[in-house]
Amino acid sequence: MSEFGNSQSPLRVWLVEIFAFGNLAFLSVDIYLAHRVNDFAHAAEWIPVYFSATVPLLLIPGILKRRHNDRMSRKFGFVVGVSSILVGLAGLLFHLDGSFFHTQTLKSLVYTAPFAAPLSYTGVGFLLLLNRMEEDGSPAWGPWITFLAMCGFVGNLALSLCDHAQNGFFAKTEWISVISSAFAVSFLIVAIVRQHDHRLHRACVYVMGLQIVVGVLGFVLHATADLHGPSDSIRDNFIYGAPVFAPLLFANLAILGLIGLWETLSYTGSESTEL
Amino acid sequence: MSQTSFTSVFIAVFLGTALVVVSLVLNENRPSADVDRPSASLVKATGKCAECHRRETSSVVHQYEMSQHSAKNVTCLDCHKPSKGQLKLDHKGFEIAKQLTSKNCAGCHKTEYDQFLRSRHAAPSWAAVAGDVDFTVEQIAFAEKYHKGTIKRPPNALSLLEGPAAIKSGCMNCHDIGRPNPDGSIGNCTDCHARHSTSIALARQPETCGQCHMGPDHSQLEIYHESKHGVLFNAQKKYFDLTADPKKLSTADMSVPTCSTCHMSGLEGLKVTHDTTERLSWFLFAATSDKRPHYERGQTEMKETCLKCHTKGPVDQFYAEAEAVVHATNAKVNEANQLMAELREEGLLTPEPFDEPIEFLYFDYWHYYGRTAKHGAFMGGADFVQWHGNYELLKVLVDMKEMAAELRKQKASIQGEAP
Repeated sequence: MSEFGNSQSPLRVWLVEIFAFGNLAFLSVDIYLAHRVNDFAHAAEWIPVYFSATVPLLLIPGILKRRHNDRMSRKFGFVVGVSSILVGLAGLLFHLDGSFFHTQTLKSLVYTAPFAAPLSYTGVGFLLLLNRMEEDGSPAWGPWITFLAMCGFVGNLALSLCDHAQNGFFAKTEWISVISSAFAVSFLIVAIVRQHDHRLHRACVYVMGLQIVVGVLGFVLHATADLHGPSDSIRDNFIYGAPVFAPLLFANLAILGLIGLWETLSYTGSESTEL
Repeated sequence: MSQTSFTSVFIAVFLGTALVVVSLVLNENRPSADVDRPSASLVKATGKCAECHRRETSSVVHQYEMSQHSAKNVTCLDCHKPSKGQLKLDHKGFEIAKQLTSKNCAGCHKTEYDQFLRSRHAAPSWAAVAGDVDFTVEQIAFAEKYHKGTIKRPPNALSLLEGPAAIKSGCMNCHDIGRPNPDGSIGNCTDCHARHSTSIALARQPETCGQCHMGPDHSQLEIYHESKHGVLFNAQKKYFDLTADPKKLSTADMSVPTCSTCHMSGLEGLKVTHDTTERLSWFLFAATSDKRPHYERGQTEMKETCLKCHTKGPVDQFYAEAEAVVHATNAKVNEANQLMAELREEGLLTPEPFDEPIEFLYFDYWHYYGRTAKHGAFMGGADFVQWHGNYELLKVLVDMKEMAAELRKQKASIQGEAP
């Protein structure tokens, strides 16, 4: 457990800071591609692009010093975290304007703006708050990290189901991501509920490893599909075709899940668990 | 310890499987037309296109939603995908045709397209303005087989005098129903059915035909609205089902006819046709009208339509009276023809068309009043037979004779003055 001030961040906390910075910054590219599909029809669609390109820079000093809780890094972390949560919630509200909320059919759900997607900002924002509000090494830190990773996999499950339904699961391989994320969710839920089940946590590590494989496989499949897309322009194929970076979210969340499991495992040690 | 782990793993596997099953059930409950299509692009087009077009050109989405195509789950891409020979356009991740033509419709509606190709709505319509220069040898040969002399012809003399702007915004707005397309097909179906609503009801509206078949040179819309058919239709159309399946159309759906009922419909077992010339028996549009090559068959088929509502006696009598107007009009136009031929023989007119006032008068004579009298007779428009037709024929011929006399007098006076 570290004190507020000048002590170095524990490795796992520091990794979560890097994770949060990387995710927020990369979202600018990902959202640029996603909103490019409808030519940034609403001016507000630029907000997350600019936000991700600038605000995460505030986290860099703390990451470089490996001190997330000194006075300045703590303040900046709160600013970035709270604003990320707000951007995520605002995005959710903007996406609610999609056709699903007008017609409320399964079909319109599939083709509406992915209303849960902006919550990725909220999730990353919570990570930054968690690092600053929950003392390092406390028993709650690891399960909270695991919980947030699990929430991410819930999003992955919903989005991979809806996105692949857009082309009617034309390739059977499109079910891999749905099945994979379903088991990621279920294993992480049980890991959170049964925090002392050492062996289950080890099983979860393998499940997370599988998510990394699925993520990389998805990236290759999406990139291959885009390289052979209907358009003569590779750029158009990448914008309007399969979202090339989306599968990497599996690997990304698996890393977060592994950090949470690592912390929980190190906290519970090798003690046996009881129901 | 191992039991505890088993419980955890069991719960995790159970939950995971349940989530997968829920996903499968959700996907299974999506409309089968969304899922069971032959390509990923077609599946995607069932909903993806509307995501942007609800915002960019929203009316096309609403028009499509009103259509039978929408009811039968035809996707945007089903119509917009490039057919053989069409230029392709990359459009937001889809490959679509740069220009839609009748070829795209013919992919599913080949019989209708083939019937249309045989009609005067096809190549003869375009050639009536532009001549044969835009057609291939095969297209000319095909159309000449059905409408001799209507394709192998020079461009319309009057249009040439009026100029390209008038041709583009005037003539071709109607005559492009038979345009030769770059993909080798002819015409477009949307002139009558509109684009995204692809409507049968629209094609049954008299005003749809009347977009072109109106005005002094072919006043069919005005005649129809004056006729008993038109008056009844306008009074009772709210009771009719204009969306009825063409092959199952009955007088219960439409107990009063519109243009398409008589010329095209499959009313109570009749053969539906998109060859609008099939049931015609006379070349009414010509200066002097001759019988069409398939006069007997055309008249029999049209009378079969009449007999769905009228008894044979009145139908035969109607035809006899209408044909009497045709013969009478022919006689009057022949008199005018004779007058014009004499003036040319006497050297009182130049060989160029439309450069002397009497040529315009002569053109109006048969092109406006002659046609109007004949169309009025065949469509039950008494006022058009009489006041807009025969009265004008009488009056204009007097004017023409007076003009001819004046021309002869001028020539005589010039000859008298000559040394």
